[in-house]
Amino acid sequence: MNELTPLAAFWLIAIPLISTPLIYLAGRLQVSLAAGTGMGGGRKLVTANGQVVVATTSATPRTPAPDVARWLGLMALAATWAPFIGATRDLIANGPAKFGLESIALRFDGLSLLLALLALGLGTLVMLFSGQGVSGAAGTEKYYTLLVAMVGLMIGLACAGDIFNLWIWFEGMAVASYLLVGFHHEEPAALEASVKYLVQSAAGSVLVLLSIALILAQTGTLNLEEIRNTAHTTPGLLAAGALLMMGFGVKGALVPLHTWLPDAHAQAPSGISAMLSGVVVMAGIIAILRSLAALAGVTPSWGSLLIGFGVLNIAFGNLMALRQTQVKRLLAYSTLSHIGYILLGVGIGVAYGQPAGTQGGLFHMLTHGVMKGLAFLAAGAFLYGLQPLFESDRGKLTQRSDAAHASPLLISDLAGAAQRYPLVAFTLSLALLGLGGLPPLAGFMSKWQIFVAGFATQNPVVGGLVIFAALNSVLSLAYYMPLVNMLYRQAPSKLVEHGRAIPLTMLLPLGLLAVTIVAIGIWPGLVYWLIEPAGRVLLASFGG
Amino acid sequence: MNLAPLNVALVGVLGLLGIGMYGLLMTRNLIKTVIVLQILVKAAVLALVMAGSAAGQIHLGQSLALTVIVADTIVAVVGLALAIQVRRRCGTLDVQALATLRR
Amino acid sequence: MPSIDLTTILTLLTVGFLWIGAVAVLWAGDGRRQMQNLLAAGFAVAAGLAALGLLPLATGQAVVRIAMGSFFGDFTFVPDGLGVFLAAVATVVGSLAVIFSIDYMHEEAQLGRYYALVLFFIGAMAGLVLAGNLLLLFLFWEMVAFCSYALISFHNDDPKAVAGGIKALVITQLGGLGLLAGVLTAYATLGNYQVEYFLANAHTVPPAALAVIAFGFLIAAAAKSAQVPFHTWLPDAMEAPTPVSALIHAATMVNAGVYLLARFYPAFADVPGWRTAVMTVGVLSALLAAGLALMATDLKRVLAYSTISQLGYMVYAVGVGAIFASQFHLLSHAVFKALLFLGAGAVIHLVGTRDMQQMGGLGRQMPFVRNVFVIGALALAGIPILNGFWSKELILEAGFAGGPFAAYVIMLAVAGLTALYTFRTVWLVFFGPPGADSPSRERNPAAGDAPPAMRVALGTLVLGTFVTWLLAGPFGNLLEIGIKGPAFGHVSSTLRVVEEVLAAPTTLIALIVVSLGLAVWYWRAKLPANATASGAAGFRAWFARDGGFEGLNHAIAGLIQGSSEALRTTQTGQLNWNIVGIAGGLAIVLAILALGA
Repeated sequence: MNELTPLAAFWLIAIPLISTPLIYLAGRLQVSLAAGTGMGGGRKLVTANGQVVVATTSATPRTPAPDVARWLGLMALAATWAPFIGATRDLIANGPAKFGLESIALRFDGLSLLLALLALGLGTLVMLFSGQGVSGAAGTEKYYTLLVAMVGLMIGLACAGDIFNLWIWFEGMAVASYLLVGFHHEEPAALEASVKYLVQSAAGSVLVLLSIALILAQTGTLNLEEIRNTAHTTPGLLAAGALLMMGFGVKGALVPLHTWLPDAHAQAPSGISAMLSGVVVMAGIIAILRSLAALAGVTPSWGSLLIGFGVLNIAFGNLMALRQTQVKRLLAYSTLSHIGYILLGVGIGVAYGQPAGTQGGLFHMLTHGVMKGLAFLAAGAFLYGLQPLFESDRGKLTQRSDAAHASPLLISDLAGAAQRYPLVAFTLSLALLGLGGLPPLAGFMSKWQIFVAGFATQNPVVGGLVIFAALNSVLSLAYYMPLVNMLYRQAPSKLVEHGRAIPLTMLLPLGLLAVTIVAIGIWPGLVYWLIEPAGRVLLASFGG
Repeated sequence: MNLAPLNVALVGVLGLLGIGMYGLLMTRNLIKTVIVLQILVKAAVLALVMAGSAAGQIHLGQSLALTVIVADTIVAVVGLALAIQVRRRCGTLDVQALATLRR
Repeated sequence: MPSIDLTTILTLLTVGFLWIGAVAVLWAGDGRRQMQNLLAAGFAVAAGLAALGLLPLATGQAVVRIAMGSFFGDFTFVPDGLGVFLAAVATVVGSLAVIFSIDYMHEEAQLGRYYALVLFFIGAMAGLVLAGNLLLLFLFWEMVAFCSYALISFHNDDPKAVAGGIKALVITQLGGLGLLAGVLTAYATLGNYQVEYFLANAHTVPPAALAVIAFGFLIAAAAKSAQVPFHTWLPDAMEAPTPVSALIHAATMVNAGVYLLARFYPAFADVPGWRTAVMTVGVLSALLAAGLALMATDLKRVLAYSTISQLGYMVYAVGVGAIFASQFHLLSHAVFKALLFLGAGAVIHLVGTRDMQQMGGLGRQMPFVRNVFVIGALALAGIPILNGFWSKELILEAGFAGGPFAAYVIMLAVAGLTALYTFRTVWLVFFGPPGADSPSRERNPAAGDAPPAMRVALGTLVLGTFVTWLLAGPFGNLLEIGIKGPAFGHVSSTLRVVEEVLAAPTTLIALIVVSLGLAVWYWRAKLPANATASGAAGFRAWFARDGGFEGLNHAIAGLIQGSSEALRTTQTGQLNWNIVGIAGGLAIVLAILALGA
């Protein structure tokens, strides 16, 4: 461990956070200037019946003024890649580094690197993707600002070295995500999802605070490493561990606490769904692991508990997903089951000291982020392509009158979509097949490694659980496949026939993610520089 | 160490937690839900101060408490803003009416 | 890094040609059909030639080695005798199916998707049999399963095709769990994925673990080869375009299971109960499927059941220990079953239905197809001197010598049943009185015989049924390369095989049983009417339920769907209820920690 000033890691957190207010101010400035001159942007008008419409005052809505906030956000995230590369180099060359501002202890290690890469990578692609997706809605500058802020806060969370700090970063990220989930606040369903998300998450964060109080009272410190050195088995610390697990577990969507997830994932703008599923939920898992690791000396049962929640999540998520009819809700439930695989892998690693387990779990965190991110973005692209029809002709075209649901994308809406949107359909299929664990795609490799870890324990119970997990993986094909199949139907649905073209900025992120899935699937060694240190740090922090 | 004030504070923490949990499980009004969340946070704040004093680091406890109050005010503000939007779009603040997303 | 020699190049090309071809066909786009036909056939034939060129170069050494990182081992390809043989079967029969498709699919949309998947499918199968690493084997195993799904449900606007595809995928994947458990156990105990290492060190594996591996592999093989109790997917897979059925049945998919058993037989032969289990699976499948074939009226379903039955022979032969006989029968079966399927495809293509009761009398209309189909049927029935005769006799002989007598008797009876259902099929399709509403007369009065591309494929296969048995000697020598074990039976020359078969008393018995089956069909009208009626009714009732296996499938699927729906009610959407989840979760974790720590 070196004590050099890890300047790169500092800027990795600082750039997104510093640029956040600038982006917002610039965005507001553009909006008010446009309002003054009557050009571009958008103003909210509340019509007589309480409906809010967005009046694009510009005479030519097809060529809107370039969105300053979006470009600034994109630049901020692009600029963040420079310190990211620097920090990665430092990490590989010198190992984990501690740094800090005054008394705020931060450390940059393998686990931080993994989460930072997920957040920054998906964040950049989502930023690129979101241009047309959210345009036309009110307050896009808030969207971009919050997205950059969320990325910065998550990187900070990944580096947090004391437990209160962890909570602060976590809370900040949570606030940004509540607002982003409820971004389409003219839709009651989005509001509903956002409210549930907020209340449940806030309840969880109170549990974390109570746990912090217990830990402070029992050990007299908040620094994770110092806690680890002083923690003994006491009822108070046991309770603290349970509170941490359940508190962060709300965000991490462990099964009885998961109820916010399908709503939020399904109602958020698709880019945000991708961020939620690929990174925010994972940040919850990382927070659980980081904080529980500090209490590793309290009881040896953390690993078993993680395995238990893992298996519960796998089975529950799969069964819930099996009968879904909405694309994004199906994907949301499948996230639940994939969280289960991650927990299973990490749990096996922690409980039995298997490096393959922690590495496999984190590997799956990475591959799931890529695959699910792609799946949600592709769903978003379809939503964008078919959107004008949801609003106007849907009732006519589909002979359905469930107007109560705010235009969800049904699986049957995508019939024959491959003919009109070959690239989007192909990438979505790749993502789904990868999620179902078919080789040679990324998801197969990470699941395989988790299974290897399970069998390496040579424990029949764990072996049985692994087989159960694999069985669920087969079961999951029973809902991924009909969706893939629907895309390649020969008779396209009316909606697809009337869909509009999807712009290049949306296709580019899809293509990049799809290539990543195949590349990792064919050569998993490609990401070992990332996975191995992360798994090692995690295992070491649990004393393995 | 003088235990009596700590015990009083403990009763306070547990009492606030009890009220908060009960409220969260029972209340149907969204505004009340936000208030109840604040009660829960206050329980946590009290617990933090108490923990700081028990660990002999009362300054740490106090600064944590202040930070938490600030942070959770933001959450409360967001919650109330959402409540306003809910009232405006859905015409109600009843969380039981706010259950269109299910299954 | 091994030196790049011809063996390496051909091994890589066998898989590479097919996968490059798949990409090339997709790249050509659906607008250019001729180009797609040309690319698909060209790459398929090239791969077939590469595999044939590999035959004399077979070696037990790994020719390609790619390090994959910590938990994935080294990916290797080992073109040994068994692997090269099966790769040749897959690519040659596969390329014939592709050539056949040029005519068969000429009116279909989305030709690019079809060819790409077919080529990918054949390539995955070739990779499977050449893989020298257990993980790589599993990888290809799963790819084969996926391709079969995608091709079975190629007509994906038809819910039956989609259901059939998903059924095939889920059932073979369930079986794949056995392979998964086996491979993981092998890796956990030996710390190595190499097949050769496993075969050499299997005796050091603890008996319990070895039993897990052995029976896991058996489950996987049974599911892939459509053996009891996993056989239900194969008849439903008949919704696929007929060339795909030919691929699945003759070239690729179902052979994988038999391959797996043969490959690992030396390691598992001594596991208690394993050989008995293998024999039981084979015998039951052969018997059940023969009965089902006798009842079916759908032409393709008859052929599907006959595949299950013939695979039963091969599995039985592995159980008996006659690996050579089982692989030899696999070769014969690949040739005559491809012939039968493609012939059936030509018929279906012409008539537009698969129901044999609506056919009849087609022989005069399509003499070429009739002739080739009859030859295929004779080979299936085991009539000398066609290839099916020799290989089936070898299996029965080995069963008589090395297996339980009861199993031998049943397999003998199945040989008779095979003759019976084969002749019934030929009669119904080509010779019998035309069905009441036979469309063959009204809709296609001018429809001719098979078009040229179909003739090329069919003619090659007919030639095969006459000559492949002559290769018994070289084939025996080929199998010796790579795998070690006395079980392979030292077959040195074709002449010895011929002598052995002709000299064995079992041959005569078998021929008598086969003629008995023929006789039963010929004099079916003269049998006591009530005897056949009552016998058939009971028989029919039992087989109509597929021996209850189909019901089991439905029950399991229903249970899962039902529990899914029931579970969905837990997502109430009520905020207060969601909070209960948080409080409940906390209480449970606290309770577990309080009790456990």
